[in-house]
Amino acid sequence: MPLMLPTILKNLFTGYATRLYPAQVREPFENARGHIRFNEDKCIMCGVCALRCPSASITVEKKKNELTFYPARCIVCEVCIHACPSDAIDLIFKWRAPFYEKPVEIHKSTRITQLRETTEAAKEGEPSKEDK
Amino acid sequence: MERLWPVEISPRAKYLRTFWAELARTHSHLLWLGLLADAFGFESMFLQFWRIRERVLDLLEMTAGHRVIPSVNIIGGVRRDITPEQKKVIIDTLDIIRKESDELVKVVTRDYTVRKRTVGIGVVTKEQAIHLGCVGPVLRASGVREDVRLTKYDAYGDLNYEPVVETAGDCYARTLVRARELFQSIDLQLEALSKLPEGEIAAKVKGNPPANEAIMRVEAPRGELFYYAKGNGTRNLERMKIRTPTFANLPSLLVMLPGCELADVPVIVLSIDPCICCMER
Repeated sequence: MPLMLPTILKNLFTGYATRLYPAQVREPFENARGHIRFNEDKCIMCGVCALRCPSASITVEKKKNELTFYPARCIVCEVCIHACPSDAIDLIFKWRAPFYEKPVEIHKSTRITQLRETTEAAKEGEPSKEDK
Repeated sequence: MERLWPVEISPRAKYLRTFWAELARTHSHLLWLGLLADAFGFESMFLQFWRIRERVLDLLEMTAGHRVIPSVNIIGGVRRDITPEQKKVIIDTLDIIRKESDELVKVVTRDYTVRKRTVGIGVVTKEQAIHLGCVGPVLRASGVREDVRLTKYDAYGDLNYEPVVETAGDCYARTLVRARELFQSIDLQLEALSKLPEGEIAAKVKGNPPANEAIMRVEAPRGELFYYAKGNGTRNLERMKIRTPTFANLPSLLVMLPGCELADVPVIVLSIDPCICCMER
């Protein structure tokens, strides 16, 4: 008992040991791994992120230009961020809000859509171009 | 894994890895000291230790990204760096941690009730410890001067490190070993940070793992962690085996548990620092 006495007295007379959440909120640090966000204007649908993801939370379908992401499976390990050749994935330091149902995110790459539209327009402009 | 190629990593990466390993050790020992108090029912001490642990978790979040799992090692080095501003915050926080845990560790090691419940309980003699294959603090509390950090992997060759050894072999000796290792790891972190060399943090590694096999032993907070990896030239590994320290400490329960009282069982099981997911391997 006497050995613990200084700690007990200090705890009695200093303020709260914990933060009065939700009145006081501490923002996460800037380096913290919060969640992942995909940039649709930089993605080239190469599929490397889907190959490297350890929890299989990304599926890439190149022909349909679709990237399906399951945030509930993501463990924020950052492997996809380092593997992406076009820097299309961002790490946001804030954590996700809790959800009732597991969300699914479907992204379409605007870069590829624009590229396909311009090649379609180019093809229609030259009808005489045939296979070699 | 780097021994498969083999790839040489830069000195800065070695020091950073050592820093994060010792930070994880501080975290684990603070957690364990809290759980020890909880095992007797000393709940207020439990939460006082975890209050100090919150500071360590904040440090981990600031530098590595997540509170419990740093996930900062990659093949070739480390993924993140420590800026000078972060370094100053780390050094200040570590001093505060040392001061606060000093007061609490004094209670754990000198209090009459704590000693009554740990001295003479769960004794493992030196021959039994070697025979059963114990690792980590359990081995060092029985008088064997054995620690993987003595093989000088990473930056331990340049740091001033000496293993903490006790001879009694009971729960009290294990508590003393872990408490002293806590202070020793704070000292090692401060030393590693002060000696941090300049350089790049990760070496470029190209290609698939060659057809080679490699062994690595690391000192985790609970003991010796053993890795064996075998590559075969393709992207996937042929074989990977990990032997966790808690799994190796389990047979020591065979000599510790018979003949003790029922109320001593939680204290004895906790003194080998069980990690359930590691045991399940």
